[in-house]
Amino acid sequence: MGSSKRSAPDGDARAGSSGAADKRGASPAGSPGERAVSPSGARDIEFRCTLPNGLHARPASLLSEIAARFAADVELINARTGVAANAKSVLELVANDVQLGDHCRIESRGQDAGAAAAALRTFVDQVLPACDTALPETSTESARALPRVLRDSGATWHAGTVVCPGIGRGVLVSADGLTLPADLLEEAALERSAEEDRVRIAITRVRESLTAQLEGRRSPLEADILRAHLSIAGDVGLVEKIHSRVGAGASAANAILDAVEFYADRLLQSGSAYVRERVADVQDVGLQLLEAIYGDRVRSDEITLSVRSVVAAENLTPRQLLAFDKELLAGLVLEHAGATSHAVILARSFGIPTLTGVVGVRSALDSGADVVVDANHGVVIPATLPAVVRFYEREERALRRRRELLASRADRSVETTDGQALEVSANVATAQEIAPAFAAGADGIGLFRTEMLFLEREQAPTEEEQFAVYSEAARTAGGKPVIIRTFDIGGDKPVPYLQLPEEDNPALGLRGVRLYPSQLAVFMTQVRAILRASAHGRVWLMVPMVSALEEVRWVKERIAQVRAELSQSGVAPDPNLRVGIMIEVPALAEMIGQVAAEVDFFSIGTNDLAQYFFAVDRGDRRVAPLSSARHPAFLRLLDRIVRDCRAQGKWIGMCGEMARSPRNLPLLIGLGLDEISTAAPEIPGLKSMVASFSASACRDLLKRALACSSVAEVESAVAAFRARGGARGLIEPGLANVGSDSVTKAEAIREIVNAFYVAGRADDPLAIEEAVWAREAVYSTGLGHGFAIPHCKTDAITTSSIGVVRLAQPVEWGSLDGQPVRCVILLCMRATDEEGVHMRVFSTLARRLMHAEFRDRLMSAPDCDRLLAELGRELGLEVNAG
Amino acid sequence: MKIVAVTACPTGIAHTYMAAEQLEKTAKALGHQIKVETQGAMGIENALTAADIKEADVVIFAVDIEVEHRERFSARRIVEVPVKEAIKNPHGVFEKISS
Repeated sequence: MGSSKRSAPDGDARAGSSGAADKRGASPAGSPGERAVSPSGARDIEFRCTLPNGLHARPASLLSEIAARFAADVELINARTGVAANAKSVLELVANDVQLGDHCRIESRGQDAGAAAAALRTFVDQVLPACDTALPETSTESARALPRVLRDSGATWHAGTVVCPGIGRGVLVSADGLTLPADLLEEAALERSAEEDRVRIAITRVRESLTAQLEGRRSPLEADILRAHLSIAGDVGLVEKIHSRVGAGASAANAILDAVEFYADRLLQSGSAYVRERVADVQDVGLQLLEAIYGDRVRSDEITLSVRSVVAAENLTPRQLLAFDKELLAGLVLEHAGATSHAVILARSFGIPTLTGVVGVRSALDSGADVVVDANHGVVIPATLPAVVRFYEREERALRRRRELLASRADRSVETTDGQALEVSANVATAQEIAPAFAAGADGIGLFRTEMLFLEREQAPTEEEQFAVYSEAARTAGGKPVIIRTFDIGGDKPVPYLQLPEEDNPALGLRGVRLYPSQLAVFMTQVRAILRASAHGRVWLMVPMVSALEEVRWVKERIAQVRAELSQSGVAPDPNLRVGIMIEVPALAEMIGQVAAEVDFFSIGTNDLAQYFFAVDRGDRRVAPLSSARHPAFLRLLDRIVRDCRAQGKWIGMCGEMARSPRNLPLLIGLGLDEISTAAPEIPGLKSMVASFSASACRDLLKRALACSSVAEVESAVAAFRARGGARGLIEPGLANVGSDSVTKAEAIREIVNAFYVAGRADDPLAIEEAVWAREAVYSTGLGHGFAIPHCKTDAITTSSIGVVRLAQPVEWGSLDGQPVRCVILLCMRATDEEGVHMRVFSTLARRLMHAEFRDRLMSAPDCDRLLAELGRELGLEVNAG
Repeated sequence: MKIVAVTACPTGIAHTYMAAEQLEKTAKALGHQIKVETQGAMGIENALTAADIKEADVVIFAVDIEVEHRERFSARRIVEVPVKEAIKNPHGVFEKISS
């Protein structure tokens, strides 16, 4: 049966009847999406698929569960393809290839069609949009450059695609897929009733076994997969297919294989890689059925790992993967599995370094070989050469340190040296950015811009669509605050359904909160979605463009109204949901005392605030220089805003551009903000800077800046401040090593680059390494006297950094005097170091290194602390103790 | 002798300044007067004025890249060496200018 082209309006080709499959290729349907005349009793539901990954196994199985409760025939028709599927069959639903944006129709026919349609309507509206858990990204990194140490090692490697990063080393174990003994398939069928019994009993046993496994303690992901298998094992389509083959005289073994193959073919025709990869699940279930009947005769070669192993296979079924002892599974090398196959998804959930698309590993390397899966650089490499083994031991050490550091930082708020806390949060525009933001150390989401949901579309997003996004955001944030800003749209944005008139001056026109009364339905829908999402985490609601107290009151009344409506329908929003406003209109800055009584928090949007305050259009290059966040007038405004908020006991953050630049940071600390929110990649650098400043020194700086009479004066005060001690973030204890065991130039460079990575100063050590080697290619940075000063300029470093290693064993560097190097000082400058503070330190260091006396002091420092002290004294830096 | 010099290397992070330091240090040791303009990542620093150039007996370029505003030095005697030469063997550079 399966996917049958819809061929007649009366729907005689019912999917679900076992004969339907044979109608494939029958005369084609009328144009897809054409509305068929519903026969009497039909109840139709139309919807558009908003699931990013389409109607995959999880939503499909939920949908089929609902459909199965009713006697009515239920069909899902994908308007894009015109293909109809039996909605009680998960397999058919999944194979129906419903993708994001597809319009679908669910038709119910039969005695209880009305009830079925009602239940399905509720499901489609309320459950479906939110029942998608993000699948692993299917975008994958292809093989890239390798670290120099590996390239120089002389080793050969096999490149693949990274689907789960990490490094694992173990003994290569080759796993084969399912192979059935030929005699089983050639065996004559028993009597039909006996074969039917076999099938029935097998299905019952497999379902019982899966159910029992489900009742055991499982991760949500494993449980989902078990549920998917349970549903396949009882799938109306699959079961009928097997029985129909038995009915035609086939043995149970042949019938099961035929049915599996039939659905595998359907699934493989899908345009979605995700759906195609479900084939392994169907095969897995088929295998379980065969095992239930034939026992050991078909038992796939289950591999028991006894030592740390790297498993190489063409592909794995989820069950095969789950059967491995994860403690011993160091890595996975799959030849053909896609990024969303269940085996890969499971591997990711267990954090097992995994490569796919690695062809020929099993023929090139013997089972039992000691290999490394380097799923950071995308290669499988034999661990035979000493240089390779050393490289990976050092890499693993760095990765372990990095994990420890990130874990210790993730939940650690940052404060200045004298104990003033500052939350550093992230600005995002999609829910997908949230997890990476927290990985970067964000303390919260300081601004979730929702405009993305509203732009470039024909209709406003539905409540469910928005709820799905906001609730995912709240869940992902896991108890940390997410400040969702209601839509800030004005006449300059192309939003056809709002029918906004063109304005001469949209920045000063009907935008933000001013628009809401005339777009009440759109606003109320968003508020409902946000309030509902607040039940799933810590959601704060923030309103943009407020300039008057009345606007705040109006918004609060609407929120109260929504809250009341929701509680009537049994939904309980977070009772502590905070409501706040953006400060971006200067008039509001004069009203904080009055407005504070109505709101829970404020966040300063510096871009618009400056634009309105200076009467300068940011986009007009002729006047843009007149507006500066470091203008004394603007700082005075900010100072007053923060003081007024403080006086009212209100939380105050900043989410504009001003918060992004490290050179503003001492001023922001001086202001005494509770929070700054900026782009996630800036967060680690900003946090380490916060920890290096003293709040009282920052307040002194701000006081001086407030007394200045021009931007230039403020900037020179800030520059002087940063030059005095503000640049001390250049180096920290973890970046120096007086007893390095690096034995080559490549190892020494890698060691320092990894130290940057470990310290959270870089996410991509290889990018820095490449930049350093690009400079070395011009001519060696060995300056003679046993010193080398490799350097580069790159934004792969989050904050300019100096790393120092003193080598136990001198290494060849190609130095000017031909002598080996004993001390390596690596200077890594951010390409966008605006004001040259760091560069000045670098140039001073370069000059000092020309003096034997300074070099001697560096060489004779007995430990890292003394080495750093010498550097700090010479360069005018204070180095924070560990 | 009165000397002016310009140092400039490819990234302008280290060698520009090391060369400048070597030239200044060596000139002092040899009893010459020197002013070194660095053209590095911070742009031009310690810029040579028209008067500096005019008064100088000789110009040293310790550079691996094109000197900015080279026209300032037209009609002056210029000794040009690679940056690393100035770092490795500054005395050699000064021998060159005296020869």
